[in-house]
Amino acid sequence: MRPLAVIVTCVLSGAVLMGGAAEAHANYVRSNPASDARLVKPPTEVRIEFSEPPDPKGSDIQVLDTTGKRHDKGDVGPSGDPNGLRVSLEPIPDGGYLVAWTTTSAVDGHTTKGSFAFVVGNGPLPPPPPVPETAPPPSPLEIAGRALSYAGIALGLGTAFFVLFIAPASTDPRRESSLLGVAGALIVAGSLTLMVDQGAKLPLRLGVMLGVRAFAGLMLTAVSLTPRLALMRPVGALAGGGVMTLGPFATFRPRRMIALAAGIAAAMTATLVSHATALGSLGSMALDFVHVLSVSVWTGGVVALLWCVLLTRRDETAEDARALGSTVWRFSVTAMIAAALLITAGVLQSFDRLVLIDDLYETPYGIALAVKIVLVLVALAIGGFNLLRWGPRLRAGIRTRTALIRDTLAETAIFVVIIVAASFLTAFAPPAQPSAAAYDQTQHVSGLRLEMLVASAGAGRNTYVLRVHQGLAPITGAEKVAFRFTMVEHDMGQQELVATERAAGEYVADGSPTAMYGTWKIQTIVRLAGREDISTVFTLPVGAPTGGGTTTSQVVTIGPYTAIVFTDPATPQSGAPVTMFAVLIGKDGNPVTGKQVSATFSGPSSQAPINGIEDAATLGPGRYKFPIAALDAGKWSITIAVGNEGSGPYSLDVSR
Amino acid sequence: MSRLLATLAAAAVVVSSFAVNMNVALGHEHRAVGPYTFMVGWIAEPAYVNAANGLSLDVIETGNSKPVEGLATTLQAEVIVGGGAKKLSLALATDKEAPGHYAGSFIPTKIGDYIFHIFGTAGSTKVDERFESGPNAFEGVVSTDSLQFPDRIAANAELAARLDSLQTLVIAAIIIGVLALLASVGGLVMRRR
Repeated sequence: MRPLAVIVTCVLSGAVLMGGAAEAHANYVRSNPASDARLVKPPTEVRIEFSEPPDPKGSDIQVLDTTGKRHDKGDVGPSGDPNGLRVSLEPIPDGGYLVAWTTTSAVDGHTTKGSFAFVVGNGPLPPPPPVPETAPPPSPLEIAGRALSYAGIALGLGTAFFVLFIAPASTDPRRESSLLGVAGALIVAGSLTLMVDQGAKLPLRLGVMLGVRAFAGLMLTAVSLTPRLALMRPVGALAGGGVMTLGPFATFRPRRMIALAAGIAAAMTATLVSHATALGSLGSMALDFVHVLSVSVWTGGVVALLWCVLLTRRDETAEDARALGSTVWRFSVTAMIAAALLITAGVLQSFDRLVLIDDLYETPYGIALAVKIVLVLVALAIGGFNLLRWGPRLRAGIRTRTALIRDTLAETAIFVVIIVAASFLTAFAPPAQPSAAAYDQTQHVSGLRLEMLVASAGAGRNTYVLRVHQGLAPITGAEKVAFRFTMVEHDMGQQELVATERAAGEYVADGSPTAMYGTWKIQTIVRLAGREDISTVFTLPVGAPTGGGTTTSQVVTIGPYTAIVFTDPATPQSGAPVTMFAVLIGKDGNPVTGKQVSATFSGPSSQAPINGIEDAATLGPGRYKFPIAALDAGKWSITIAVGNEGSGPYSLDVSR
Repeated sequence: MSRLLATLAAAAVVVSSFAVNMNVALGHEHRAVGPYTFMVGWIAEPAYVNAANGLSLDVIETGNSKPVEGLATTLQAEVIVGGGAKKLSLALATDKEAPGHYAGSFIPTKIGDYIFHIFGTAGSTKVDERFESGPNAFEGVVSTDSLQFPDRIAANAELAARLDSLQTLVIAAIIIGVLALLASVGGLVMRRR
């Protein structure tokens, strides 16, 4: 077991070193100009930051005016931020602009699309843009490439494991070679198919991973065709498992060890371009790796058992049957452990990937997962039957090889379908995919799937999106979709925004109903023809540091008062107007009205003091408003004073 | 439950009589319809679920605020929930003490928004208006939870949801039982062989 331990250590260390924080789909996080920004002067470039490194080669940013004319220079490139892209702009006049972006993930080559708007001057914002599919469905070529790769990895790794640790010493090496050769060919074919699917936009990182996988496949094929090749140190070293042929690690079974190492290396590339790596946690990656290894040992092992043992051994004598039974027993125990590991890892992974249990039948990812679960259970039942029914008979010297072959063939057929399901599973975006929205919650109400997305976690103007689906189908043409806002901490009354449908099943409303720091309840009402209203409540923390956004809400003590100070927008940008609000609360917890509240500024440039405007009718009692035309980028220290009663500091970061 | 309903119904009647006699339209939606102003809301506000209530409609001439009488025969009203899932025609009743006031009684049995559809003619004006409860109009029907003391009585919808969840548990238990039975039979058969 020592060589195996060394291999596992090497490969896991490699995984730890190679696995950086990344996500499977590059989603919008923030931009400058910000979404829905109103600018005093025109920007010279647009910078967008995504949730993972985008590949500039396969990415595009277009800046369009309201007539559809492009105003960008088409020079999309890295912005200098870790996950950022930028594009230069021609001089643009006042008016509304739409930024339409497309990115290709540097991790797995998946494409995502989106758009946002900004306005220069006093004109209106462009109408909300149509929202394309944020993550287009995978192509048949991608599914085929994944299926071929996974089949090859499972077969190669499973066969190598089986012949090393389970099969009897007298196993026919030609049969072993043929399986390893097929596995290698499948891995190479799968890797090449995925490269062809990506075409010219193949990201470098993904290209390297697929190259490593293809090389591992080549090594499997090579060692299967010419077993002596494995004895050559350079080739073995290149295979990643060559250490086993060197010095103190040398083994008398180098070919099998190299085949195992090549299989593990190929499996590792599957993990490094997977949703697990997308989550960016080593725990998720480790679970995924265990999942891939265990499913390979089980499924590939079944095929190896069938091809290398069951089809060649005889059970005509009691002694033969007992020998066969002994092999079957060893494999059954191994398969049981592998199945337990893969189920445990799979269940733990699903906690990260699924939002609701209903996802299993309402999302493409969930359906693929459900199909896989059912098939695994069926295969497990067949395996259990073999273990309990045919295994004891063989060990008792009774002939049952034919029945065992029949059941193993059935298992193999099921494994083929499982691999196809896994190909879909890994190509689809999981429901719990990190979202660009600051708030993203899903509820299942009266048979509908309601996903609420809120663009910003800050107070002030915001965009509220409700995605309504029934099963996989979007609900279009709702008679009414409305959002009703009530604050938990204070009685701010109830405000309603009525949403419009801007894409199939996607209803959007813009407004500033959550203008104050605190906890807000959003009652959503979906009215469909011929049905009773479908209603539920989402709880939105405003000002809390959730998602990718930051908050500027701060509690400031001013003499005998407490002030909750925040800005709209929550993350101000240089050159854009910003409004600061201070809600003044007395010791009794009630809002304090009729005070002279002023703000003095200290920062990168000069800014005249501003007196707070109190308008209880529109702002609510105790709320003071400080309209600021624009601030330069940098850190600002703002002193808020209440008459002569006291003052307190408020800090504000203004981004470029 | 019936005692609570009776109490709420009595309260609703008392409140509605006040509202009618005072001829005020608090929490009502005011809307110009031709030369008239329609004021629509609940007879009793807040409108509690499972309590007697109904449509309160007041019609005045917009120019001089004079109540408009005699519309009970020319106007029709219906109450709608959701996207027309359920409709109930309301018979408009008048009150000699409150000219221009019309009421259509019913007991709202669901919490949420209601739509009053009023159609027909008022004088020579064709009327086809939908008045929907909401933040900028009259309130929807609300729960009685905050009024219940000392024990809280579960609402029908809540009881139905509980029954649904129980049904799911029962089905799951049956499936597990059947599987266990099959496993037992299988084990017995294998042991005999």
